[in-house]
Amino acid sequence: MAGSDLYIGTLDVLILKALSWGPMHGYGIGRWIRQTTEDVLSVQEGALYPALHRLQRRGWLDEEWGVTETGREAKYYRLTPAGRRQLRSEVERWRAYARAVSAALDAAPA
Amino acid sequence: MRRLFRLPGRSTDIAREVDSELRFHLDMRAQELMDAGMGPQAARLAALQVFGDLPGIATECRTISTRGARERARRALMTGLLHDLRFALRSLRKSPGFTLVSVLTLALGIGANTAVFSMIRGVLLRPLPYEHGERLVYLRQPAPLGGVANAQFSPLELADYRQRSRAMESLVEYHSMPFILLGQGEPRRVQTGVVSANFFDVLGVRPLRGRTFRPGEDQPTAAPVLVLSYGFWQNRLGGDPAIVGKTFEMNDRIHTVVGVLPPVPQYPAENDVYMPSSSCPFRMGQFTLNTRTARMLHLFGRMAPATTVAQAQTELEAIAGTLRSEYPAAYPSGQGFTISATSLHDELTKDARPTLLLLIGTTAFVLLIACANIANLTLARLTRRSREMALRAALGADRVRLFRQMLTESGLLALAGGVLGLALAAATMRLLTGFAARFTPRAGEIALDGEVLVFTLVVCVLTGLAFAVLPALPARANLVSALKEGGAAVSGGGSSRIRAALVVAQVAVSMVLLVGAGLMLRSLLELQSVNPGFDSQRVLTMTLDLNWSRYTSSDLILGFHDRLNARLTGQPGVVSTASTLTFPLDGHRRFNVSFLIEGQPPAEDGAQPLGDLRSASPDYFPTLGIPLVTGRQFTPSDGPNAPQVAIVNQSLARRYFARETAVGKRISADTGKTWITIVGVVGDVRHYGLESEPTDEVYLPFAQLPIRESTFLVRTTADPGAMARRIGEEVLAIDAGQPVANVQTLEEVRGEALANPRLTTTLILLFALLALCITAAGLGGVIAFSVSQRTQEIGVRMALGAGRGEVLGMVLREGLRLVGLGLVLGALAAILLGRLMTGLLFHVETTDPLTFAGMSLVLVLIAAAACLVPARRAATVDPLIALRSY
Repeated sequence: MAGSDLYIGTLDVLILKALSWGPMHGYGIGRWIRQTTEDVLSVQEGALYPALHRLQRRGWLDEEWGVTETGREAKYYRLTPAGRRQLRSEVERWRAYARAVSAALDAAPA
Repeated sequence: MRRLFRLPGRSTDIAREVDSELRFHLDMRAQELMDAGMGPQAARLAALQVFGDLPGIATECRTISTRGARERARRALMTGLLHDLRFALRSLRKSPGFTLVSVLTLALGIGANTAVFSMIRGVLLRPLPYEHGERLVYLRQPAPLGGVANAQFSPLELADYRQRSRAMESLVEYHSMPFILLGQGEPRRVQTGVVSANFFDVLGVRPLRGRTFRPGEDQPTAAPVLVLSYGFWQNRLGGDPAIVGKTFEMNDRIHTVVGVLPPVPQYPAENDVYMPSSSCPFRMGQFTLNTRTARMLHLFGRMAPATTVAQAQTELEAIAGTLRSEYPAAYPSGQGFTISATSLHDELTKDARPTLLLLIGTTAFVLLIACANIANLTLARLTRRSREMALRAALGADRVRLFRQMLTESGLLALAGGVLGLALAAATMRLLTGFAARFTPRAGEIALDGEVLVFTLVVCVLTGLAFAVLPALPARANLVSALKEGGAAVSGGGSSRIRAALVVAQVAVSMVLLVGAGLMLRSLLELQSVNPGFDSQRVLTMTLDLNWSRYTSSDLILGFHDRLNARLTGQPGVVSTASTLTFPLDGHRRFNVSFLIEGQPPAEDGAQPLGDLRSASPDYFPTLGIPLVTGRQFTPSDGPNAPQVAIVNQSLARRYFARETAVGKRISADTGKTWITIVGVVGDVRHYGLESEPTDEVYLPFAQLPIRESTFLVRTTADPGAMARRIGEEVLAIDAGQPVANVQTLEEVRGEALANPRLTTTLILLFALLALCITAAGLGGVIAFSVSQRTQEIGVRMALGAGRGEVLGMVLREGLRLVGLGLVLGALAAILLGRLMTGLLFHVETTDPLTFAGMSLVLVLIAAAACLVPARRAATVDPLIALRSY
């Protein structure tokens, strides 16, 4: 789901969005991205983890260890207030970008 | 400490967490694929495949997390520190009294240590400011059996050592003489260093202007040249920028100034100007050049690279041995001639070392007492703050956090004290340099430089740690639980024992300092009351160095002195005048004379009786108040052509004429060619310092030993300043080109001789008193605190019928028990440490019972006074109130 064909920053904004519903572990985040993007973006699932750690280091994610429904210990990520702010600004930036690109693509040839 | 600064999230933890996270992902993904119908083996492989580069990703995650953890830890530490700092500031502001007392005592302690260390650094530790300073040595030629510490060297001996020594890369000579300088204004008496041409090269001194001497300028044919000292150039010639190339007349020859020295300390002594050895008429006289015993030179050497002082010493001794066998007449075996090399560094600092070490020891003790005191105050404060601490502990502050808090507070105090102390040290720098200048020519090198600042910083950190850790000691095991129990727990048990121990230690250290100061004081009093053998009241001394080129004969010299004497005698205020070679306590000029005694066979080893040579005009003894014991004094009829006579002092008379009277005996200073009759015996004089025992002395009539470099003495009833001016005028009336120098009263000279011990004693005494004050404050504080903790107990006792006196006594006893213990410990320590002071004391034993008893009394009295304040408060406790508050 992530790779060279992914627009820079796309994975980050998807992770933040995934966590906006509540704490999730890495596998859950990956599965959510696969399902909501209908596997369009999936290339290498492993790339998710460095991104998670990077976001955590920047202070947008917090971690906590919890137990899954199946009774296994797993690392859960949660948005920090800074992460929530980051998500809002990323979404706006992404929308503006997408609008601009679509407008260009929809325009009639000069 | 480790827990304090440990970084959370160690790398092993992080690796484990990353592994477990990734394993969880792969397991869940495989499970997902299996749910979709894959076999377990295939599902695992597929999960791995869609995951990508597992090891690479794991490494990347670990790296990111480790860095993140480090950043977070650093941030947490910084915010924690900031928080601690703010908190410490607030809590210090809340107790301004404690803060003020602590900062001030610390400032005094740290300031004193900084100041003394800067002296030690500048004088003892810093390498000499000369090129290869560590290779420079000073040579001595002692003749211990003849009682001579350093006979110095003759030009012939210098030539021999130069030629034969390999250990010495170069040897240079030095001697200093006064000459009269003419031209460029009024005639001046200038102290002149007479040196080898390569003297400044060996010492590595570069000229500020012009040049120093060139090779060959110390040859007899060279044109006379001068190098000026910086001070002389600045102060006497107004820093004339065109001075190089100007000329002066000296000893009837024209000397050209070739250079000016930089403002570095001049070794071995301060001189106004320098000339090459060839310009000195005495050094170049036929007698001096050709006589092996014409020893007038100081020798300095630079050792060859990689040579030790011991190696040089061994080689020089071997050469000296050869010289002794080659020229036995010049080295009488009875005198025990030898040679010694001392590193120039040790030579220049040997007088300052014991005093400076004593001072740093003293100031270190003062700082220790100050630390103990602040630790004590902190403990008391801690107890008073116990509820606050307990609350903070209950709110989750852990032990480490509380300790860190205390460390921050004490660190702040120490730093504030340090800054203030540094300012104090800087303010007293000039005084200190002046003080050090009395002991060493290196005083000018004392400065508050980087290393001194580092020293101060280290002292600050150590003191801060010391009084943060001390109060934490009693509750080390369970600070939090102790705090949680509130005030009683902290004040009781361990804490009060620690506080008592601190007070005992303070008293002990104070006792050591008091005894040290007391011993110095006793020694000073002894020195002050020692009978110097002369009456220093109302005597003026001045140096009259007659111009070498004009006063060429004994008659001319005598004629000058006779005329001056005649003009002054009978003037109002003049009691008597005297001409002489040296006067008591004048510090330098030492002349020996070895002599034969008629009728006494010379010793088998050739050792001759030796005495210090003095000259005295007829009124010398009454002018100085030196008593005549037997015989007669010199009279005007003991003239140049009259029979030769001498007066000896009691010490010499006792040594060589024990059972008979010396008067009438004859001695010879020229191995029996002429004989001198002893006509009188006078009292002993401490000529070389109040602490030095009188030596054997032989006085000759000034008229029979006229010397140009003379001292003129006047006993006067008039104002010394006015009298000095009048004498100067009379001198100029006789010879308009004749300066008078070094005008002093003999009382000033005597005061100067006492100045060093007096200054040192004053400093030590000040420090001891400071220590005593701090200790008294500490003791009073401890007792007051104990009283406040025992208010109820005291109330009960009083309710049960105890009188005020009993309560007073009880509290006093408690304080004095601590004092007694500290006193005994301190006295024992003082007995042990006192031995180190032996060399600094005069006529006082280091175990002087009077000092110990006196200082104990002082300490007990001050301590009792300090306890009395809280004791009286205890005695006024109202039992009703005390019991009600129970």
